[in-house]
Amino acid sequence: MPDIRTPSSCSLALTVNGRPVTLDVPAHALLLDVLRDRLGLKGAKRSCDIQVCGACTVLVDGAPVSACTYLAVEADGRAVLTVEGLADGERLDPLQEAFIEHGAVQCGFCTSGMLLSAKALLDEDPSPTPERVVQYLRGNLCRCTGYRKLVDAIVACGAARGGTA
Amino acid sequence: MRVTRELALAVPPGALWTLLWDVPRMVACVPGCVEAREVEAHRRYAARLTQKVGPIRLSLPLDVEVTEVEPERRLALRARGRDPRIGAEVAMRVTLDIDARDGGSVLRIDAEGRVLGTLGALGHGAIQRKAEESVDEFGARLREAARG
Amino acid sequence: MTRLRPFALDRPASLEEVGALLAEHGADAALYAGGTELLLLLKAGLLRVQRLIDLKRVPGLADITADDGTVVLGATARHRTVERSALLRERCPLVAGVARHVANVRVRHVGTVGGNLAFADPHSDLATLFLALDAELTLWSRAGERRVALADFVRGPYETVRRDDEILTGVRLRPWPAGTVSAYLKFGVHERPSLGVALAATIGPDGAVAPARLAVGCVGPRPQRCPEFEREAAGRSVAELAGRAAALAEAAADAVETTGDLHGSADYKRDMTRVFVRRAIEIVAARAAGEDPHARYPYTVVV
Repeated sequence: MPDIRTPSSCSLALTVNGRPVTLDVPAHALLLDVLRDRLGLKGAKRSCDIQVCGACTVLVDGAPVSACTYLAVEADGRAVLTVEGLADGERLDPLQEAFIEHGAVQCGFCTSGMLLSAKALLDEDPSPTPERVVQYLRGNLCRCTGYRKLVDAIVACGAARGGTA
Repeated sequence: MRVTRELALAVPPGALWTLLWDVPRMVACVPGCVEAREVEAHRRYAARLTQKVGPIRLSLPLDVEVTEVEPERRLALRARGRDPRIGAEVAMRVTLDIDARDGGSVLRIDAEGRVLGTLGALGHGAIQRKAEESVDEFGARLREAARG
Repeated sequence: MTRLRPFALDRPASLEEVGALLAEHGADAALYAGGTELLLLLKAGLLRVQRLIDLKRVPGLADITADDGTVVLGATARHRTVERSALLRERCPLVAGVARHVANVRVRHVGTVGGNLAFADPHSDLATLFLALDAELTLWSRAGERRVALADFVRGPYETVRRDDEILTGVRLRPWPAGTVSAYLKFGVHERPSLGVALAATIGPDGAVAPARLAVGCVGPRPQRCPEFEREAAGRSVAELAGRAAALAEAAADAVETTGDLHGSADYKRDMTRVFVRRAIEIVAARAAGEDPHARYPYTVVV
């Protein structure tokens, strides 16, 4: 079977962390590669590459997706949020503050995915119970913390603010 | 994976033995075998096997080596091949034992194989099942061929 | 391989257009919705296609609707939509509840019901549960439309009766009647479930079970109903079933086909089937008595 000679090229118009972005991508481009390599946003990580670990989590229209297994073209016309979009200049997002306060970051590799998944959770359920946090984060793996401090941080953030700003 | 089966066939061991060496007829009996040719008589053969495991298509050239020959009693072979398109490597060993029974034959098939590569790791359950189906189909076709 | 080989992306706006594309491109094309299984196969290099035919622009394919006593889930409905569907929460609450626990939250936002069923990975919660709901799948092609019972749709691991020119457009579920007490138990440590048990007992005014539905999935090549269990259970009270739970579970487990794989040996799976069918009976019995045991077992989700 000959390899395709003229793959689709798609023109995307989306927002990334609140800023409008236009770019041409081939149909087969993965969102993770576009974010990291075209836009220089290295927060989302390629880890398992099979959508089970959550290190590549980004939010598309508020919904967490595995950027490693998501075509960039699906983000056309949508709002993408990466970890770089959480802080407002020097002002950290309350979730980021909570993570620091509770010691929920060690090597940092899972952190980007954890923060964004937590944000999606709090946007949906502003004061989740620890059980709900555990259930929601089931697809975000951490090798360092043992999860307890992550859950504490998210629950505390929820309780304190009733959701992130 | 490993599949063992025992078949009763209506032809005596001699006729069965002749059939087993008849390359064109055997190609028709082996599911997924699209071609085969003799490289060295009774020693080496080249074949091509195609199979579908779910949505995944496998197509590989097989290098077949006959390892044991006991006329009208036992035939053992080894086959290996690789599908470069999906990086799957197949290695198998098949032993056929023939006994006379009631004017016909009993054929015992013992097929053991490995699939290496991603397909082997992910498709383990599906591969075992496909192997069993293939051996059963082989048995049915062989029975038909032996009749005709 | 982490990058995909190049392909073209088609975005047809109708089933007819999809059909035309399939006819034109055949095996060079793959149907695409969420891509949560397809993209993995493409990344692994196990599948090579020239084109993806995106189903998400075909109108109506993602709808969840009621139809003459049944509920129809459109093939491109995301698991997340199923989880939040008011219609399902009312008519088939267990379906909405189980959808909440499929895979992980990211897959639930992107993956679709149709994709899950059409791929026919044996480790599927939905296929297991839907079997207990007498699910019927609708397959559309240019040659016409046909309906296939889920029990007949799945032939084996990753193998369905869907022809290459057919598109799975929806799943029809038969909600259990009022007076049905049910539970779904999902067990496993991996991303995909190792065992799923769906038990529904419809309790008549006389307190007798009529009928019971038991589906066991993920442990064998296809999800399975347990007709002997269902026959045994019919006519008995739920309390009686609970009293005989161990024996009933053992018989059910013995009758189920199990396949060894990375989730465990065939024997292990049979063992776990026995354990979890017993637990399912106990939970259903407690629920029938108006109690919710909030049972907790390691690596298990109870819905």
